[in-house]
Amino acid sequence: MSNFSVGFRTSGSVQVLELNGELDAHTASELEAAIQKCIPSSVRIVINGQNLQYISSAGLGVFMAYIEDVREQGGDIKIAELQPRVFNVFDLLGFPMLFDIVDSEADAVARFETASSQ
Amino acid sequence: MIYGFLSSAVGGPSMFGIGQRLRTWLLALTAFVACVIAAGYHVMSMAGSAPEGMVTEVVYHALVLFAYSVIYLFLSDRLRRRASTSLRAFWLPILVGIALITVHYGLTSISRPPDLPTIASSSVTFGFEYGTGRPLVPATVFNMNAISLVAATFAFILLLRFRDLVLVKRTRASQRNWYLMLGFMAFASMLTFLTPADASLNIWQRLAMVPAIGFMVVNSLRLSWIVFLSMSEKLLSICMSLLLLVILGGVGIMETGGGSAAFDVPLPYVFIKHYSYPLSVFVSLSVVFGILYCTTALLSLIFHLPTTSDYQQRVGELAAMHSLTNLVGQVFDSDRLFSMIVASPVETGAGSAAWLSIPDRSSPTLAPHVVAGHSIDIESVHRLVDIPALYEEIAETREPILMEQAVADHRVTARPGEGIGSLLVVPLLSRDELLGALFVTKEVSHGFERDDTEAISVFAAQAALAIDNSRLFEERIERERLSRELAIAREVQRKLLPQSLPVVHGLSIAASSVPALEVGGDYFDFSELDDGRLAFIIADVSGKGTSAAFYMAEMQGIFRSLSRLASSPSAFLTTANAAVGPILERSVFISVIYGIVDPARETVSIARAGHCPAATAGVDGHPRLLRSGGLGLGLDRGEVFRESLHEDVINLKPGDVFVLYTDGVIESRNADGKEYGYDRLLDVLRDNRHEEAHDLHRAMTDDLNAFVGGSEYDDDMTLVIIKWHGIEVGNFSAASKSDPARIQEA
Repeated sequence: MSNFSVGFRTSGSVQVLELNGELDAHTASELEAAIQKCIPSSVRIVINGQNLQYISSAGLGVFMAYIEDVREQGGDIKIAELQPRVFNVFDLLGFPMLFDIVDSEADAVARFETASSQ
Repeated sequence: MIYGFLSSAVGGPSMFGIGQRLRTWLLALTAFVACVIAAGYHVMSMAGSAPEGMVTEVVYHALVLFAYSVIYLFLSDRLRRRASTSLRAFWLPILVGIALITVHYGLTSISRPPDLPTIASSSVTFGFEYGTGRPLVPATVFNMNAISLVAATFAFILLLRFRDLVLVKRTRASQRNWYLMLGFMAFASMLTFLTPADASLNIWQRLAMVPAIGFMVVNSLRLSWIVFLSMSEKLLSICMSLLLLVILGGVGIMETGGGSAAFDVPLPYVFIKHYSYPLSVFVSLSVVFGILYCTTALLSLIFHLPTTSDYQQRVGELAAMHSLTNLVGQVFDSDRLFSMIVASPVETGAGSAAWLSIPDRSSPTLAPHVVAGHSIDIESVHRLVDIPALYEEIAETREPILMEQAVADHRVTARPGEGIGSLLVVPLLSRDELLGALFVTKEVSHGFERDDTEAISVFAAQAALAIDNSRLFEERIERERLSRELAIAREVQRKLLPQSLPVVHGLSIAASSVPALEVGGDYFDFSELDDGRLAFIIADVSGKGTSAAFYMAEMQGIFRSLSRLASSPSAFLTTANAAVGPILERSVFISVIYGIVDPARETVSIARAGHCPAATAGVDGHPRLLRSGGLGLGLDRGEVFRESLHEDVINLKPGDVFVLYTDGVIESRNADGKEYGYDRLLDVLRDNRHEEAHDLHRAMTDDLNAFVGGSEYDDDMTLVIIKWHGIEVGNFSAASKSDPARIQEA
C-alpha cells in the first residue's frame, strides 16, 4: 500500500502541492504525475512538506527532473515547511543551493509575488 | 401386417445380430428372388398356364408386398446415413423421379402399337385383358415389373430422405408422428388388398386414407432445417423443391392415370395397379406427401428469405462470442486480442466500425489511447471523436453512452457523411476497474437496435475479461523479467565491489556492503596511490534497480581511472562531476565521499559530495560528523558544485577511526518505524572506538541488526571502517601485519 499522497491547492497564481507520508522510489511516480498535471496550468509551484515524513534520494530526484523545465518556462519549484529530519536530507545533498527552501508556505508564495511584481 | 413390421424395423439396429452389410445384401437377394417369382407368375399368367383362383391371387399379392417390404428395408439400410446437408436430401428423390418418368415414358412409348388411333378403344392395344388385367404380351409383363419397381423405389427414397428433413431437431412426438403416418399409409394401402385393378376405391378405402393424410399435414409442418440455411442455400432449396414438385406432379399424373393424354395410358390401365393395388396406393400416398411437404417447404423457404440476414447475424454473434471466449485463454499476444475485440462487433454486423481505447500505462495521467480499430483508421479516430472527453465520462458513470445522432453531440467532431451516424461507447469493466472503452459506430443515425447494443455489451464483458487476464499475465511476465534483471544487476554490483581490501602500513580496514533485494547503487572502493598513500571512496547512486547498478559501474570506472591522476579529493570530485554529469538522467545523482590517507605525513584529506557525513572518533575524543559542504554529483554541472565543495585535512593520531556509511544504515527502521539515526551510530562508535577495525565493524553491524530486528526495511547498507594505528619508528610494517585487512560480506 502506498502511504504517500499529494494534495492540490492554489494560492493566487501559485499551485501548492501538499505532500503527505513517505516519498521513496515507489511513490516518486505519484509526485511526478502531480507535477506533470500542474505544469500546463502554472509553473509556479510550491511544495508544502509539512506532512512529509520521509524522503529518499529517488524522491529528491523528482524535483531535479522538473526544475529545469519549470525554470525555462519562467516558473520555479519552491519548497516550504519541511520537517527538520527531512530538511536534513535536502541539506546533506546541497539542495538549499539549488532550490528555494523556506520555512513557511506564505513566504514561498510571497517570493513568487515579489518576483512577478518586479 | 407386413408394413407394420416394416415400420417398426425402420432405423432400428441390425436384426438377429447379423452383420449390417450381410443383412443388406441378404435383403437385396430376397427381394430379387421374390420379384423374379412375381415376374414368373406374370409370364405364366400371360401364357395362360398359371393356376387360377383365390388362393393363387392371395399368394401372389402377399409375395409382392413381402418383396417390396424387403426392398424398403434394403433402401432404408442403404440410406441409413443421414444426408450431410438438408440440400442433399432433395437430390436423390429428384434423380430417381427423373429416372422414373423417363423409364415410364420410354417403356410405354416403345411398347405402344404404332397405329394407335385414339385412347382406350381396345384393351388388347395396351397389352392387358380387359377386366382381369391379365398381361397379354411379354412387353407388358416387362413394363409392369420394371415400372412398378422404379415407382416403388422412388416412393421409398422420397420417404426415407424426407424423413431426415422432418426429423431435424426430432422429439419423441415428432418421431411418433412420422411412424404413425407411415403406419396409416400402410394400413390404407392394405385395405385395397385383392381389389381388382380396374375397380375404383370404395368409401371405406377412401376414408382409411384420412388419418394418413392428417399425419402428412402434421409432418409437413416440420421444417426446422430451413432456419439453419444461408441465403444461397435457401435459394437453391427453393429451386430444388420446385423441381421436385414438378417431378412429383408428373409422377402423380402417371400413377393415377389422370393425364392420359400426356402418357397415352388410359385410366384403368396403370401398370402398377395391375401389378399390385396396395403398392400403387402406397406410392400414390407417398407422392401426395411429397407434394404436401415440398409445398410447405417452398412457402416456408420463401417466407424465411427476408429474415435470413438477421438469423445469420445471430449466428455470427454466437460464433464471435465463442471465439472471444476461446481468446480469454489466449493471452500471449495483446495486439491480436485487441484486434479481435474490435473485429467482433463489425463482423457480426452490430456496428459498421469499431475501435478500442485503453489507458496508456506509460503516461502518469493514464490518458486513453486507441490500440486497435476495425474498418476505421486509428489515426483518423482522434480527428472524428473527442476520445478523452468520452472516456472521462465513461470512467465516471461506468455506463454505456449511446448517441443516436452522433454528429449533433459536441464531443463528436465528425461531419455528417464521415461514417459516424450513431456512436455507442461501452466501458470494459473487470473487477470494478475500468480497463478501457469499446467504441462502435454505425453510418446512419438511430442505427443501433436493442439487440445490437445488447450484443455489444456482451462482447465488452467478454473483452474486459480477456484483457484483464492478458494484463495479469503480462504483469507476471514483467515481474519475472524484473527479477531476472535484478539478479543480474546484483551480480554486477557484487563484482564491482573490491574483492579484497588493501594492506597499508599503519591502517586497518574493514568493509561490508549488503545489497538490497531491489538492488541499490552503493559503492565503495580503495586505490593505492604513490608514496604509500591510499584513496578511498564511498558512493550512493539515487534510486534503485538496474539503472542504479549501471551508474554504479560508471562510478567505478571513474574512480579507477581518476584516483591516480587527481591530486586531491576536491580535484577528484570536480572532475568526476564533470565526467558523470552528462551521463546521468536528470532525476539521478550520486552522493560521494572521497578521501586520501597519507601515512607519511599522517594526514587524511577528505571531501564530501552530498553524501552522509563520515563519522570520526579519536582515542579520547567525542565522535563527530565531518559535515563539510558539497553538492551531490550530477546536481549541478558547473560553478555551484565547485563553490560548494569543501575539503577537510585532518592530522592523524594513532587510534583515530573513520566510519563511512550510506543512508541505508541511517534510515534503517525497526518494527516501530523508528530510524536508526546518527545519534545511535555515534553512540556505538564512542563505545567501541578502542576496537580494531573489524571488531568495531562487527560491533556496529551487530547493533544495527539488533535494532532492525525482523523488520523488512530494504536498502543497500554499506559500512566502511578505516582505523589509523600509527607507525612505530623503525618498524614500518609491524602495525599493519598484526592487523590484516578484513572484508566481510553478507
